[in-house]
Amino acid sequence: MLLSIEPDGPVPIYQQIRDRIVEAIADGAQPAGSGLPSTRQLAVDLGVNFHTVNKSYDLLRQEGLLRISRKSGAVVQRDPGSGPPDPGWVRDWTGRARTLLAEAAAQGMSAQDIIHHSQAALADFSFPAGEGAA
Amino acid sequence: MSASSLATVVIVPFFGALLWVTPAITRPTVQFGVRIPGDRVGAPVIRRERRAYYWRTAAIGVCFTITAVLVQGHASWWLGRIILLLELAADLGCYQIARKNITAVKNAEDWFAGLRQMVATDTSWRTDPPRFPVRWLLPALTVIAVTVIVGAVRYPDLPARMVVGFGGSSAGHQAPKSVVSVFALAVGQLYVTALWTGLMLIVYRSRPDIESADAASSTRRYRMYLAALTRAVLTLIALVNLTLLLAALRTWQVYRLTGIASALPLLPFIAGLLIFAIVAVRTGQGGSRLPAGSSGHAAKALPRVSPGPARDARLSRAGVGGGPSGGSGRASRLPGESPGQSPEARTGRDDDRFWKAGLIYVNRDDPAIMVGNRFGVGWTFNSADRTAWLVLAGIVAAPAGLAAIMAAAGL
Repeated sequence: MLLSIEPDGPVPIYQQIRDRIVEAIADGAQPAGSGLPSTRQLAVDLGVNFHTVNKSYDLLRQEGLLRISRKSGAVVQRDPGSGPPDPGWVRDWTGRARTLLAEAAAQGMSAQDIIHHSQAALADFSFPAGEGAA
Repeated sequence: MSASSLATVVIVPFFGALLWVTPAITRPTVQFGVRIPGDRVGAPVIRRERRAYYWRTAAIGVCFTITAVLVQGHASWWLGRIILLLELAADLGCYQIARKNITAVKNAEDWFAGLRQMVATDTSWRTDPPRFPVRWLLPALTVIAVTVIVGAVRYPDLPARMVVGFGGSSAGHQAPKSVVSVFALAVGQLYVTALWTGLMLIVYRSRPDIESADAASSTRRYRMYLAALTRAVLTLIALVNLTLLLAALRTWQVYRLTGIASALPLLPFIAGLLIFAIVAVRTGQGGSRLPAGSSGHAAKALPRVSPGPARDARLSRAGVGGGPSGGSGRASRLPGESPGQSPEARTGRDDDRFWKAGLIYVNRDDPAIMVGNRFGVGWTFNSADRTAWLVLAGIVAAPAGLAAIMAAAGL
């Protein structure tokens, strides 16, 4: 998996690392069961503080995407093929998605444009066979 | 001509040539210690400074080599070392001039304006780490074993006082026979072998020195570079040990050589340096001179974390697998970038502020112990890291301790 961050960018580094890993899981680069570097290794490789990576992994663990154990390290726990998520999580996500879509609408993007961009993003993700982005 | 003066006559032009060629083996996005965006590699100031550096260091190399040849045979041993130190200082002066001039233009024209400065890593470096080539240690260990065995066999026949050290059969000073004085050079072999093996093991656990704008291809080349350079270092260790064995055989009176022939033990060491230099020039720093699309055996070792069309499609979008853009320092879209973001606006992070004098890495926020060198091939310590200082202290303390033991033994 390629993981790139913008250390001097506006988004906090822990958030960037978390976002990149979520995207890698969605697009199939990190399927369930695949390993991630340890927090110390990833901190060295990105030249960031160990606690920063720890915070990212902790977020992913809370979201149920990552399993962290002393024996096997950090392992991806869910991916697009793991079945439907918890209804409570869907409710939360709908709220966040609504805010994101509202940002686009508030900036003057047309509904058509918003749908077009959403479809382009979904085309990158690896859905199980028969569940295409369309 | 003594062994010492011959060493000077060989080493002065060797280091002169090595520093002369260094800008060509450093990665293109770091010119004279200055980080530059990929599209500035051919900037007029860089072309000018490179030309000036080549001319200046060539002149310095020629002058110091002539001086070394002229003084050999007439001078004491320390003059050779002073000549070498002065040559290195003069070359580093040229480096600093080029660095200063390029930095001035870079800052004046704000080369990084409007660019997204990225740091990237290929996690396969950790999930499928490269393996240290343990088998390549065998020659070095074999030479140590031979040294110890020959020393043990010769020990009973050695005189009560014997000539020791590297200075030669007549120039070396005498010391009473003891286990320490007889096996001093074997201890030296152990130190050299342990030191370089230890450092290379740290390097294997460290961050790969790659181009962030082209992480996948760059990581693949770094794997090949590390494999080649480690083998070159282990070969150099074996040849250094061989030089020490040949010197030991002389102190054990297995053979006698006088005049120019007394320099014979130095030949393996010089051959090792040449092998290392050839490998370094062929690979370039971090594998920057290796072809971007090359697969080789290192590429076969890359992980197959997620086989399948989705990953393949994504990798091809990211420019993985070489191609025309592979080695340019810029590549296609990275994960996290939407199609609207231009990959042309992405570059490696401007990290000049962490490099003091363009040579010493000092970054408190970086947990790395060792990082890739800024000028030339190889690695250097992060001077802000406590562990790095502990390792350095160990490197210095070990020979100091050995010297103390030898002094106590009358050497």
